[in-house]
Amino acid sequence: MANYFNTLPLREKLNQLGVCDFMDSAEFLDGVSALKGKKLVIVGCGAQGLNQGLNLRDSGLDVSYTLRKEAIEGKRDSWKNATENNFTVGTYEELIPNADVVINLTPDKQHTAVVNAIMPLMKEGATLLYSHGFNIVEEGMQIRKDLTVIMVAPKCPGSEVRAEYVRGFGVPTLIAVHPENDPQGKGLAQAKAYCVGTGGHRAGVLKSSFVAEVKSDLMGEQTILCGLLQTGSILSFDKMVEKGIDAGYASKLVQYGVEVITEALKQGGITAMMDRLSNVAKIKAFEISEELKDIMRPLFQKHQDDIMSGEFSRTMMEDWANGDKNLLKWRAETGETAFEKTPAGDVKIGEQEYFDNYTLMVAFVRAGVELAFETMVQAGIKPESAYYESLHETPLIANTIARKKLFEMNRVISDTAEYGCYLFDQACKPLLGDFMKKVDTDLVGKNFNEGKDGAVDNRKLIDVNEAIRSHEVEQIGATLRKAMTAMKAIKTA
Amino acid sequence: MFKPFVHIQNLNLNYHNKVVLKDLYWEMNIGESYVIGGKSGTGKTSLAKTIAGLIPAQGSIEINFDELSALPKEVLYVESWYQFKNLEGVANFYYQQRYTSQQAKETLTVHAELVGYGKEKGLHFDQVEPILEALGFATFASSQLIELSSGEHKKLQLVKALWLKPQLLIIDQPYTGLDVASRKNLNILLDQVAEEGVQLILICNDSELPACINSFAEIRDGKLVKVDALESSATEIYLREIPAFLKESPVYSSEDIVKMVDVNISYGEKQVLKNINWEVKAGEKWLLQGHNGSGKSTLLSLVNGDHPQSYANELYLFGNRRGSGESIWDIKQHIGLISPEFHWYFDPTATVWQSIASGFYDTVGLFQQLPYTKSTQVDELVEYFGLTENKNELLTALPLGKQRLVLLARTIIKNPELLILDEPCQGLDRQQTQHFNQLVDELCSNGMTLIYVGHFESQLPTCIEKRILLEKGEVKVVETILENV
Repeated sequence: MANYFNTLPLREKLNQLGVCDFMDSAEFLDGVSALKGKKLVIVGCGAQGLNQGLNLRDSGLDVSYTLRKEAIEGKRDSWKNATENNFTVGTYEELIPNADVVINLTPDKQHTAVVNAIMPLMKEGATLLYSHGFNIVEEGMQIRKDLTVIMVAPKCPGSEVRAEYVRGFGVPTLIAVHPENDPQGKGLAQAKAYCVGTGGHRAGVLKSSFVAEVKSDLMGEQTILCGLLQTGSILSFDKMVEKGIDAGYASKLVQYGVEVITEALKQGGITAMMDRLSNVAKIKAFEISEELKDIMRPLFQKHQDDIMSGEFSRTMMEDWANGDKNLLKWRAETGETAFEKTPAGDVKIGEQEYFDNYTLMVAFVRAGVELAFETMVQAGIKPESAYYESLHETPLIANTIARKKLFEMNRVISDTAEYGCYLFDQACKPLLGDFMKKVDTDLVGKNFNEGKDGAVDNRKLIDVNEAIRSHEVEQIGATLRKAMTAMKAIKTA
Repeated sequence: MFKPFVHIQNLNLNYHNKVVLKDLYWEMNIGESYVIGGKSGTGKTSLAKTIAGLIPAQGSIEINFDELSALPKEVLYVESWYQFKNLEGVANFYYQQRYTSQQAKETLTVHAELVGYGKEKGLHFDQVEPILEALGFATFASSQLIELSSGEHKKLQLVKALWLKPQLLIIDQPYTGLDVASRKNLNILLDQVAEEGVQLILICNDSELPACINSFAEIRDGKLVKVDALESSATEIYLREIPAFLKESPVYSSEDIVKMVDVNISYGEKQVLKNINWEVKAGEKWLLQGHNGSGKSTLLSLVNGDHPQSYANELYLFGNRRGSGESIWDIKQHIGLISPEFHWYFDPTATVWQSIASGFYDTVGLFQQLPYTKSTQVDELVEYFGLTENKNELLTALPLGKQRLVLLARTIIKNPELLILDEPCQGLDRQQTQHFNQLVDELCSNGMTLIYVGHFESQLPTCIEKRILLEKGEVKVVETILENV
């Protein structure tokens, strides 16, 4: 199989990268009717599989699960998840031949094997649904020409997909139809109906393409979402301990701080996050984030280049073939960091204190979000797609860190994201060596405003505010956030 | 010279820019145990939290612990709202998630929770066992925290407090969600710990109290006032005419509201509902009763479309077989529901007005603009419940009694065919309860169907005509208690 993207002529590459349409709610007036009475069969029953299935069934659709024989006979967790919630469970041979829509919610690295096993069993004219385009775009999987291939990707962990649905809302969702596989032209209608079934249509739906989804998703998760949050967390913790801040306090500040800080980001973008700082602290955070952007720009560009050329997926697939040797080694190493091993102290940290005492993280987040966004847009990805894969998802990932630190983050995200995260982290830490030498506890661990009179130069402040507010990620963010104002505040602190 | 046990001087507290406590002075002497009662919203909970050191206030609070006593020199405040976390540390769930099999594994078990608590406080586990027995809680040891009903959560908190025996024990709404038997046993246990030297402050308006209670007080205008006994406090409340839109009779699509045929629900080995057969016809008024943990809330979750195991049972709602292509939103649009769990897990970011308005769409939180007629109806109901001055406040900023009123308003806003009121008056004072039940009677006289869960005969709407009693997941009694004239 050849990398699909690399087989395309440049014009078609640009064409597919540029698919990006934020859909109007009027597009969903048909509800679930395009899938009503159809047999939906979900392959795999992990967090995404189970929770999407529960939602679809509660929307009046016919849902069952198919698992590998070994999973059924061994009564594995996936089998338990499905049967304990009263779903029909069967083998591929039993359920796939009658399925109108087969939903592949297995991990990326199983896709080739799963699709090769189910494709011959699928009936003429059925639909194959993915929630990530890696298999189609990077591995170049060829799907039978009579089958329709679509993607529906809720931009949240599975548990949120369910939680938002039962309260009557949903999570932002990305949909796509693979242009090589839409023989009957029904792909889009089915994808939209699926969104209604999971509740996604209430929180904003972005029509994208398999190509745009993969190239932006990989970039976002490797750099700002997981990579930089990991690097920033570890460096911040180590710096505080080095400077004599109580380790329990440092651990708590880092574990929960990123969640509190990015909650402001979720509500009102970089602007709202920076506005939580005092004027002096804001100017400082702006200056160091500019410096951080200059330092890290080549690394962000390298990641985007490797993703576009297929180099990233090639090396990762080598690791798959190698039994995940690198992945497992790096995962173990992350488990051994001092931050991971120091429990959060039993100290109360006020909400504002997370901003005042952790100015460094605010700077990291601004630098990372803007860089990821800029780099994606320069590579031909549309601003809306770039927004979802940078700013929008950052608070969701931060939430996993608050739950159980980096271990939890790396457990929740896909293996693909985790692999890219470690690659970034390993390259980024040495890059920031000189920068971190200059950092003191006023930026991380203590209140930045302490001992300062708060005076700032008017012109300077105006310029800083202007630079923050006029960035393109803020412009596009303001529009997109309107559609998801009702997103629940996820708080653990 | 004896010092008072608790000595409070010049205590001042503001909350959301409102004066709650003003120059409060109080001496609680050795041997005294108090009930602090009075209207909802006077600052009882704030005072309790201040004494326990949980919220800062201006003024002086001295607690003179008995140095010679073996009891822990500690003030323990038992909240009326108990927050637990799942194993990932997430505190806010949606109540429906209790029923999904996968989610249930993510919280601690009761046993693990108690072992952890005993370890933290240096307590012996054999001492907690009699308390668990007395409150009928021993059978819950292996239950997950998220599986517990509100009454069971309350018991868990009480178990911990009675096990610890702090020198000062403050319990906010001790009887909330407890059935009659548990209330009696709780009073016996409280008397036992009082005998051993624990001094109590109970915050409630109940009349059946432990014998050790020898003093009563209320908060008036920010000051604590000792009273001889609790009066049934007058609350400013709706004796107005109900809004016209609530007088319209519901239009039924089917005579059969609920029909269950041999319904069974279990989690793994544990069977919570056994061979349930039950029919509710349009316009009937049902009382659903049973001990804590008898399966009441599970039964109601089936009716409200919340239970994933509905799909494996023979269940008909509003004339349609469950699982025949309807969505849960199709079901919910016929129903107005309130339960303690629903309140527990309600959206903390919603204002009073938004909370009520969300009842039109059966959503937890408001996600859309209301058309003019609906928005007027919300205003009318806000006015009717006397909530106008609170309408833009966050629901969670109100005292619990008022929060409950808001959610009751949400329950009836769409004038639904079926009202499901699961302990609707928890947290309301006597008078509010009486008025609310009058309102229920009035609504039901227009043909609305009712399923009401309540423990006390004295605190029920008069329209109740049929009763179903559950015991250990089985239907024990189905009877007609009031012939329709």
